[in-house]
Amino acid sequence: MDKIIFLFSEGLKNLWRHKLTAFTAIFSTFLTLIVAGSLIIASENTNKVIEYLRDKYKIEVFFKKDVSDKRLGEIIKEFKLIRGVRSITIITKGDAEKIFKSQFGEDILEILGYNPLPASCVLNVVKKQANRLNIRPIIDQLRKFPEVDEVSYQGRLISRIESYYEKFVKLMTGLLILVLVVSVFIISNTVRLTIYAKKELIQSLQLIGATNVFVKAPFIIEGVFHGLIGAALASLLLISGLNFGSKIIYSVAEIQLEYNALFLVSLLGLIGILISFIGSSRAISRFLK
Amino acid sequence: MIQFDNVSYSYKKGGGVSNVNLSLEDDEYVFLIGPTGSGKTTLLRLAYMELMPQVGKVKIDKYNSNKIKPRKIPYLRRKIGMVFQNYHLLNDRNLFENIALPLHVIGFEKDEIIDRVTESLEEIGLVGKEEHFPEELSGGEQQRACVARALVKDPDIILADEPTGNLDPVTSFELIKLLEEVNREGTAILMASHNYNLIKGRGHRIIEIQNGIIRKS
Repeated sequence: MDKIIFLFSEGLKNLWRHKLTAFTAIFSTFLTLIVAGSLIIASENTNKVIEYLRDKYKIEVFFKKDVSDKRLGEIIKEFKLIRGVRSITIITKGDAEKIFKSQFGEDILEILGYNPLPASCVLNVVKKQANRLNIRPIIDQLRKFPEVDEVSYQGRLISRIESYYEKFVKLMTGLLILVLVVSVFIISNTVRLTIYAKKELIQSLQLIGATNVFVKAPFIIEGVFHGLIGAALASLLLISGLNFGSKIIYSVAEIQLEYNALFLVSLLGLIGILISFIGSSRAISRFLK
Repeated sequence: MIQFDNVSYSYKKGGGVSNVNLSLEDDEYVFLIGPTGSGKTTLLRLAYMELMPQVGKVKIDKYNSNKIKPRKIPYLRRKIGMVFQNYHLLNDRNLFENIALPLHVIGFEKDEIIDRVTESLEEIGLVGKEEHFPEELSGGEQQRACVARALVKDPDIILADEPTGNLDPVTSFELIKLLEEVNREGTAILMASHNYNLIKGRGHRIIEIQNGIIRKS
């Protein structure tokens, strides 16, 4: 137990002993997490926009005239089982007549003596889906029903929106991975400078019988502290910036930026610890080889 | 305690040791004498297995250079105390912390560390200087601190590489006497030096090395 306390206190003391390196590593982590955090918030808010747009996607299905209400009920139940369908609103022949009357001010029964309007339904698709939503398989399944006369939907528009969304998600993921990998290299090289400066300490430790774990641990613990401090500073700046920015955006465009502060802080802390851990482990392990 | 069997090691750029056979008993005090570049340091580095013999084998206690796994070497070094000409004290730690370091490495409890370091400081006469940093100590005090750091873990043997190299004659003589006291308490000592005048007539075995070959033992 005393050994663990010693290693932790060494890691903490190293922050003070290696001030310049600590500053550089913390600053690198801080910058990385600012970029990563901004990407995460941008993605989160883009998800809200895509969910809003998906909520507006509508697939209208018109049934043939001779479909009974009983059969209509059965078909709707089967529609609900189709993957990607979130909800269905049924419009019976009677409902269609009322809609016609409300929209055109005329009673179609009085004009024609019968109701020519078909029964139909409006399908809403799922909103929460991380990747591209492909509407084509839903349409194909709907058309397989012999009772279906026509399927109407905004095919090209949906396809374009989903394609942009897919590109955006890929771009964000690529950028995030790039930023993280670059930061691991920066941190690793920064820590390597400390290690070279502490060559004498490492040699002394090895000569008095320290195992590799004992030599590595303070450097890794120091790295984790860099990550934590960098994450705390980045969280502070991002949340302050978001609070400030969200008020301005709301006053201009009435759009409320959404983010979960606890989730953001935890995620940045985790990423900070992870990249610092990988960076410092990589540096010390390569040195000891 | 230590046994070298037909040990040879040569560096790429020349130098090293050739066909060395020697042994050191448990409570012996042995001087290794020879001019600069004769192979004394190489012999000590082979003893604490920083170098591995290219031919032959080194045996220390139960550890055999031909069989030892790299991860076991730190455990061998815990049985050896090392004293160097350039002290190898850490400048960003005070005297107490420098001496306590080997005990932290081994995993002693805090109270035991305090007791052992205090005892070592008394033994080498540096009580009251616990808070001093190496640069605030004289060369002799730094070397005594180095001895204390070697002794604090109660090693089976002390390997000293030119420990008097940076000291004046009086301080050098005091250091030899200090190591003799340590030896009397049962710790084997192998001390390399190029200063024959300092070690002659002290009643200890002297091994002479020249150009990497043992001449006299």
